[in-house]
Amino acid sequence: MFAYIVRRVVSGIILIIVMSLVTFLLFFASPIDPARFACGKNCSPALQEQTRKALGYDDPVFVQWGDFLKGVVQGRDYPSDPALRKTAPATIAHCPAPCLGYSKLSNDTVLNLVKNAFPVSLSLAIVAFIIWISGGIAFGVIAALKKGTIIDRGIVGISLVFFAFPTFFVGLFLYQFIAIQWQIVPIPNYVSIADGGFFTWLVGLLLPGLTLALFYMAGYVRMTRAFVLESMGEDYLRTANAKGLAPRKVLVKHSMRAALTPLVTMAGLDLASLVGGAIITETVFNYNGLGKLAVTAARNLDLPLTVGIVLLLATFVIMANIIVDVLYAFIDPRVRVG
Amino acid sequence: MVNPRKPLAAVAAAAVALTLAGCGGGSSTSNNASTKGSKGGTLYYLTFRPAEHLDPQRMYIGRDLADMGRMVYRSLVSFPVTKNADEALKPVPDLATDTGTSKNGGRQWSFTLRDGVKWQDGKAITCADLKYGMSRSFATDVITGGPNYILGFLDVPHAKSGLPLYDGPYKNDHAADFDKAVTCKGNTITYRFNKPFPDLPLAIASLRSFDPYRKDQDQGDKSNFAVFSDGPYKLQGKWDTNKGGTFVRNPNWSQSSDPVRKPLPDQIQFVQGLTNEVINDRLISDSGNDQAAVTDRVVPPAFYSRINGAVADRATQTDSPFVYYLLPNFNQMKNLKVRQALMMATDSQGWRNAEGGSKAAKPAKSIVNPSLVGYQPNPAFTAPQTGDAAAAKKLLQASGEAMPYPIKFTYNGGTPTSDKAAAALAAGWKKAGFKVTLDPLSDTYYDVIQKPSNDSDVIWGGWGADWPSIATVIPPLFDSRINLTSASNGQDYGNYRSDTVNKLIDKAAAQGTVQAQGKVYAQIDAQLGKDVAYIPLEVTQFYYLRGSKVTGYNLSPATNGYPDLGAAGVTK
Amino acid sequence: MTSHDTTASPATSAPVPRPSSSDALLSVRELAVHFPTSDGVVKAVDGLSFDVHRGKTLGIVGESGSGKSVSSAAILGLHNPARTRISGEIYLNGVDLLTLSSEQMRKRRGREVAMIFQDPLSAMHPYYTVGNQIIEAYRVHNDVSKKAARERAIEMLDRVGIPQPDRRIDDYPHQFSGGMRQRAMIAMGLINDPSMLIADEPTTALDVTVQAQILDLLQDLQREFNSAVIIITHDLGVVAEMADDVLVMYAGRAVEYGPCKEILTHPEMPYTWGLLSSVPDVKGDTSARLVPIPGNPPSLLNPPPGCTFHPRCVHKDKVPGDLCWTVEPRLEPGQRGPGHTKRCHLTNPDDIYATEVLPEVAPGLVEES
Repeated sequence: MFAYIVRRVVSGIILIIVMSLVTFLLFFASPIDPARFACGKNCSPALQEQTRKALGYDDPVFVQWGDFLKGVVQGRDYPSDPALRKTAPATIAHCPAPCLGYSKLSNDTVLNLVKNAFPVSLSLAIVAFIIWISGGIAFGVIAALKKGTIIDRGIVGISLVFFAFPTFFVGLFLYQFIAIQWQIVPIPNYVSIADGGFFTWLVGLLLPGLTLALFYMAGYVRMTRAFVLESMGEDYLRTANAKGLAPRKVLVKHSMRAALTPLVTMAGLDLASLVGGAIITETVFNYNGLGKLAVTAARNLDLPLTVGIVLLLATFVIMANIIVDVLYAFIDPRVRVG
Repeated sequence: MVNPRKPLAAVAAAAVALTLAGCGGGSSTSNNASTKGSKGGTLYYLTFRPAEHLDPQRMYIGRDLADMGRMVYRSLVSFPVTKNADEALKPVPDLATDTGTSKNGGRQWSFTLRDGVKWQDGKAITCADLKYGMSRSFATDVITGGPNYILGFLDVPHAKSGLPLYDGPYKNDHAADFDKAVTCKGNTITYRFNKPFPDLPLAIASLRSFDPYRKDQDQGDKSNFAVFSDGPYKLQGKWDTNKGGTFVRNPNWSQSSDPVRKPLPDQIQFVQGLTNEVINDRLISDSGNDQAAVTDRVVPPAFYSRINGAVADRATQTDSPFVYYLLPNFNQMKNLKVRQALMMATDSQGWRNAEGGSKAAKPAKSIVNPSLVGYQPNPAFTAPQTGDAAAAKKLLQASGEAMPYPIKFTYNGGTPTSDKAAAALAAGWKKAGFKVTLDPLSDTYYDVIQKPSNDSDVIWGGWGADWPSIATVIPPLFDSRINLTSASNGQDYGNYRSDTVNKLIDKAAAQGTVQAQGKVYAQIDAQLGKDVAYIPLEVTQFYYLRGSKVTGYNLSPATNGYPDLGAAGVTK
Repeated sequence: MTSHDTTASPATSAPVPRPSSSDALLSVRELAVHFPTSDGVVKAVDGLSFDVHRGKTLGIVGESGSGKSVSSAAILGLHNPARTRISGEIYLNGVDLLTLSSEQMRKRRGREVAMIFQDPLSAMHPYYTVGNQIIEAYRVHNDVSKKAARERAIEMLDRVGIPQPDRRIDDYPHQFSGGMRQRAMIAMGLINDPSMLIADEPTTALDVTVQAQILDLLQDLQREFNSAVIIITHDLGVVAEMADDVLVMYAGRAVEYGPCKEILTHPEMPYTWGLLSSVPDVKGDTSARLVPIPGNPPSLLNPPPGCTFHPRCVHKDKVPGDLCWTVEPRLEPGQRGPGHTKRCHLTNPDDIYATEVLPEVAPGLVEES
C-alpha cells in the first residue's frame, strides 16, 4: 500500500509539472495580448512593450516556465530587473520559495491569494457537502424504500428540477427571496470562524451552501436510490433478512453499507473539485473563494494566478483520487487484499 | 471612461450601457433625498468591478478617479461639488491657490500650493511631492496602466520609440531632462510642455496622475493598492483586492484647507463583487445598511417595472460620459454613398430600445459627449432616429454598387441584450438594401477589430473622454498618424485616414485656449460627419438607485456621472 | 442411498390436504404465492401441500422457475407483502406462519427456521467478516455479549469443519474457498439450533468432491440436531443421497410427491421421468443416456390449459381424448398406493416407465428395483 501511494504521488507530481507547462503554452497561445490589456488607454507599441516587460511576459515562454519552476524551488523577485534592484530595491517584491508566482494585478503572491481564498471555498464545500450528502442519502433511501409510489416520484422529480436549473438561477432565487425580500437569513456574507464564531460562519454559508447542495443533492438522491435498490436485490440482503434481522438493521447495516461504497468515491471527487472553488455560486453570492479568484485571474489575463490556481486544483483532484483509492481499500475488504 | 484598449474595461462599460436607461443630462433635482447633510454614519458603496489600481498615477477608471479624488487624493485643481451642471466641469482651486497661470500659449503652466495642506501623517505637501508624482508616470516599466498623455506633452527629449528618454524616479536615467521641464520654486511648480496644453486644468481635475506622491511612501509596483491620503478620508488597514476596503476620516485633513469637499460620513465602505441584480434588489428592498448605500451599477431593464412609488424617489438618471457609435471600415466601405446609405438606414432608436429604452440610452448627435466643453451637435446626422429606409435605398442605388450590398457588422456581443440591439440595426439596414452578417465577438473583440486586415464593414465602438475637452476624443480616435501602423489601427478601428482632418487636428492643438480648440474641433466633427467616419448611436445613461438614508446624493459630471462622494451623507 | 423408512413417514399417508397435521414439524397446506404485475398475475406457486417431520429431509426438485425457491421464501416470510399475495397455511410447530405479524415472523426467522443459500459468495455480505455475520445471526435471537457470541460462532465454525476457526472467523467471505464458505453458511444457519433448515441448492456452486463433503456435513448435523430439513435442488443425485421424501415441482405446482425411494424407483409422472433422464449417472454408468426434457418451462403468467406439462410431454398421446389439453389432473395416488401421489392423466405410468423409459436411460436403476 505504501509503495502504491508513493507511486501515485510521484506520477501526480509529474502530471502537475506537465500541466503547468500546458497552462503556460495555452496562455500564450491566446489571441488576447495581456500586455495590451494591462497597458493604459492610448497605448503605443513602445508602451505596450514596456508593459509586457513590467508584467514579466517579455521572455520566451519556455524561459518563463523555467523561471516559474525555479521559483517554486528557490523563490523569485518581481520584477527581476537587475537595474531596478540596484537603484530602487524597495520596489521589488520578493516571493519566497515555494513561489507559485506573484500576481502583479493583485500585488500579492499567488500563494497568499490562494491562502486567503481557500478557507472560503473549503467552508462552502464542507457546508454544501454536509447538506447534500445527508439530504441526498436520506431522500435517496426514502425514494428507494417507497419505490414506485408518489413519494418516490416526487423526490426524483423535484431533484431533477434542481439538477436541471442553472446554479446561478437557484442561487439568485434563494438570494433574492430568502435573504433580500423575506429576510429569513441575513444577506450572505462570509465571516471566518475566527472572526465571527461558528454560528455566524454557518449562517453566512447557508444560502450558498444550499445552492450548491441542491445541485449536487439531485445526483446523489438518484444514485443513492439506484444503489440501494440494487443492493436490495443482492443475495446477501436476503440472507440478512433470513437471519431475522430487524428491517432497519437490514437497511442500514447491509443495504446502505453496500450502496454507500460507490457514493464515497463520487463524493470524494466531487468534494475535491468543490474545494477548488464553486465558480458560479461564489460569483452570485460574492464569496471570495478559489472559484471567483479563478474567474478573476482568467478574465484579467493574470498568468501567475491562473497557473497557480490550475495547479492547485489539479493537486486537489489528484490528491482526492489517491485518497479515494486508499479509502476504498478500507471500505471494500475485497480491494484491500486483492 | 470607456477605454477601448482594455477589453475588459470596455466589456464592463458595454455591460453598463446595455443594461441602462434615460433622458436628460445632469442629475434630476426633483427627486433627491434630503439635501441637508448630516455628519457621521457609514456610507456604503455597493459595486461589482474591483479597482485595478489605487495608485494615483496608475488609476484610469472613471469611477475610481472620481471616488478617490473626493476621498483621498487631492489635486491642484478639482471640479466643484455642485448640482449645477454648468458649473460642474469648471475647475476650482484645490491644493493650489488658484486654477493656475499659463504662459507661452499654453505651453507653460504654474501652480502654487495652498498653505496648510498635509498628508495623512501630518507632513506638509510640498512642491517636490508634486514633481515626484509626475515623475512616476515616466517609469513606464513599473507604473503601467495609467494615463500617459504627459509622456507626449512634457518638454523632454524623446527616443525613436516615442517614449521619453527619462525613465522615471526608480532608474532615474536622464533625470536632468525632467528636472528642466518641471521646476519647483518655493511652493510653486512649473510645467513646461512641447505644445500648447490649454486644457491642463481639466486634465488635472479629471485624472489623478498629476497628484502629488510622497517619495518615502513609494514602493513602485508594490504600492499599486496603497493609499497615502491627503484628502478627508484615509484607508483603514489594507485594501482587499477582492472585497474592497473601508475609508475612515483623516484627522490631518482640515476643512479650512479644502474649499472643494464637504465630507459628512465617518466612514465610507466599498463592497466589491456584487452583481447588478443583487445590488439593485438590495437597494429596492432598502433594509439595514443598504439604506445608507449608493452604487455605480445601473438598474437592469428587467427591474424597471419595480421602480415605482417610494422606490422611484430613490432613483436618479443622468448622462454617462460614454458615447456609443458605429465606425464604417474605410478599407472595406470605400464608396461614400454606401456609407451615407448606411447612416441613413441606421435605426439607432431600435438599438436603444433593445438596450432598455430611454432609461438606458438617449440619442447622440455627435461622437462628442454633450457635457464636453465646445460640444455641438454634428450637422451631418440628419436622418430620423429610426432611420429612413427609402432615402437610404435611394442612396445605395445611386452608389452604383450591386444590391443587396453585403456588410459584416462586428460588435461586442455575446449577451442577449447586445444581440437584440445588433439585430435591430441589422433589420433597418436590410430594409435599405444591405445584406447583413452579424459578427458578435466577446473577449477577443479588440484584438480582432484592431487588426488592419479586419474585414468587418461596420464596427461598434464606445468612448468616454479622459477630461472634458474634445482633445481627448477626436484626435485619439481619428488622427491616422498616431493610430494607423502596420500592426494595429489603434483606436481608429475604421481605418479612417484624412489629411484634411489631420491638418485640422494640428490646428486645434496649436490653439491656446480650450474654447478656441473647441471651435476647430467642431469643424473637424463636421468633416467626420460629411465623410461618415462614424455614426452616433447613443449617449449612455446612468440610472441609479440609492438607499433611503443617503443625503446630498448627486450624480454630477464632475464625478463622471457617478455618485459624488464629496457631498454625500447619511441620516441616522 | 440414504436409509429410508416409509412406515415412519406419515406424510406419505396423508397426501390429501388437512388443516393441520398433528405431528409434522412443518405442514404446508394449499400454499399459493402470486405476484401481481402490470402484465397480470404471476402464479409462482399454487395449491402446494407437504409435510416435513423432525429428523427427516424433504427434497424439493424441479427446474428453475418451478416455484421451489419461492415456496421456501414463503416459509421464511421473505416475500415483500406489498408485492405478493400469499394464501394457504404454513404450520411450523403448530403455528400458522401466515397469520403472524411481520415482527412475530421475524423473531422466528433464523431461530426456528433457517436457510442456507445457493451461492455462499453472493449470499454473504462482502464487506463484513464471516464472524461478524455469524455473530450477528446469533445475537439477533440471543441476548448475549459479543464475546459470548463470538465463542459460539467459533464453536460452530469448528463444528462445520473450518480449520483454525478462531483465526478464520475474522476473514472476509472472499478469503474463504467455495466449500469453506458453504460450511460457514451452514454454521450461520444452524447457530440458533433451528428445528427447520431449508437448504436452497446448497451444493450447486461447488465442485463434485466438495459437494459430497457438504452433503455429508448436512447429514451429520441433521442427525446431531435432529432438525427437519428441506433441500431444494434440481439434482436428483443430491435428492437420492439426502432425502426421505421427494416433492417434484413443475410450473408452481407439485406434480409428484412421495417417499424418496418410491419416486426414484417408480416415478409415475413423465416430468419426473424427464428429470431422471437428464441426470448423469453418479456411478459413472456410461451406458446411461442423457435425455434432456424437450421444450421450455411454461409461462407462469399464462400457464397452458389442462396439464401444465402437456406441451412438453412425449407421452400425452397415451391419454385418451383431449384430456391433457383441457383438464388439469389432480394430485392423487396412482398405481403405487396412497403414499405416492402424482398429477397425471396416464393410467398405467408404471408400465410405461418400466418398458419405455427405464431401459433407455438408467439401466442401473432397473436392476435395483
